[in-house]
Amino acid sequence: MEDQILPPESLTSEAIASRLTNNVSEQINNGLIKKQNLVYLELNGCSGNIISLLNGQNPDFEYTLNSMVDLRYSNSLMAAEGEQAVEKLMEVLEEDFILAVEGAVALKNNGLYNVIGRWEGEPFTGLQAAKLLGEKASHILAVGACATHGGVSAAKPNPSESVGLQSVLPEKKMIKLTGCPVHPDWFLGTLAHLLLYGEPETDNLDRPLMFYSTLIHDRCPRRPFFDRGIFAEKLGDKACLFKLGCRGPVTRVDCPTRQWNGHVNWPIGASTPCIGCAQFGFPDAMEPFINYDTTRIVEDE
Amino acid sequence: MNNNYELLNMHMNRLVAQARQDVYTLSTLTNSAMTQQILQRLWDTLSSIQLVSEIMVNQVSSPSIPDSMPEPDHAYLGNPAIPPITPTPPLQTHQQTNRDITVEELATFDGKNGRPAYVAVNGTVYDVTNNRAWAAATHFALPAGRDYTSEFATCHAGQQSILATLPVVGRLV
Repeated sequence: MEDQILPPESLTSEAIASRLTNNVSEQINNGLIKKQNLVYLELNGCSGNIISLLNGQNPDFEYTLNSMVDLRYSNSLMAAEGEQAVEKLMEVLEEDFILAVEGAVALKNNGLYNVIGRWEGEPFTGLQAAKLLGEKASHILAVGACATHGGVSAAKPNPSESVGLQSVLPEKKMIKLTGCPVHPDWFLGTLAHLLLYGEPETDNLDRPLMFYSTLIHDRCPRRPFFDRGIFAEKLGDKACLFKLGCRGPVTRVDCPTRQWNGHVNWPIGASTPCIGCAQFGFPDAMEPFINYDTTRIVEDE
Repeated sequence: MNNNYELLNMHMNRLVAQARQDVYTLSTLTNSAMTQQILQRLWDTLSSIQLVSEIMVNQVSSPSIPDSMPEPDHAYLGNPAIPPITPTPPLQTHQQTNRDITVEELATFDGKNGRPAYVAVNGTVYDVTNNRAWAAATHFALPAGRDYTSEFATCHAGQQSILATLPVVGRLV
């Protein structure tokens, strides 16, 4: 109880975030916390997570780059290109670094279905990169559905034979941030926790409990409609979207309170069902995403 | 319609009173173990306020809103296990209990086109029409209307409590 911040101190997300970030800046300036190297590797995916990350606030991406970490390699964001870029990646291997990986690892033809660069004249595959860096990293973050379990890249029929990162690094402990894409707060929050306090507490599926502990269903503003058996019959209806195939009741993540695009809205707020993107097994196990042939008899008006 | 409006208004007042009471309780609470439960109830109350206010707004434009407002069970306080959710009023009217159902018959209860959704585990047929893990009559890519004895054993071994919450409709023969 004595640790709690009580009013009149502002308790808005912005205020809390600014207290935290100021605190961290101070600690960095006083030499109490060291900036760490970060390698952000994009493998077989759509780069959705890094785009989502650029939308981050509290802290934003600029702050992350300038104050939290030294971003040593990122397929999308670095200025170097070609073999020079891969050279940067190899330099990091000599140092201590945190590895964040988005995208799945393509196994077909020894990884040739996902080439991320060239090294010493040879194609440098995602598979090589994941193994090489994964073995050396101090901490590993699997960012997004493709990295955590294969996700969309591994959806049927999976022509590239894509798998999640854990499959190629079976012995390594990693933090899995599911979601398609990952909310910037889930990634930046976990990264901040790593820097400040070490590894966050995770569930038995290696997801940080601070973001992935409550069911969407239990925090859904439309829960009273479910409890009373009032169901939406089409997209856009304001009632419970369960009969249309909403996966909120089985998906553990904080979307209802976190919200997206600068904490503005989220799928159910926009009257479309949760498609369970933060579930292991997404997307194949989460289908159908939408279903009009429902258990409820639609009566004539 | 006027009566209905008054009913909703009463309901709204009751919810606001409940929320005020919870806020007051939270401000005086020294036992932090209770905080979570009261916050949960506060959240639910707020959601209900939103629901009632939306119904009140809708009532002005369209009269097709249910006349009665059945209350869900709020058993969060004093009972840590949140009870299984059974939407009221029950949607099936033709439910028969403990009758014999063949595999072919089971396949017709696929939750499509207004039909209920049934699944079988260990010879017992359960109704999952309104079970929260069976949205759109599917559960992790498994459609309703089939025998899932081995699938249940693979994913929920020893978790008989899951089955205990489901309404039984018959035996698989």
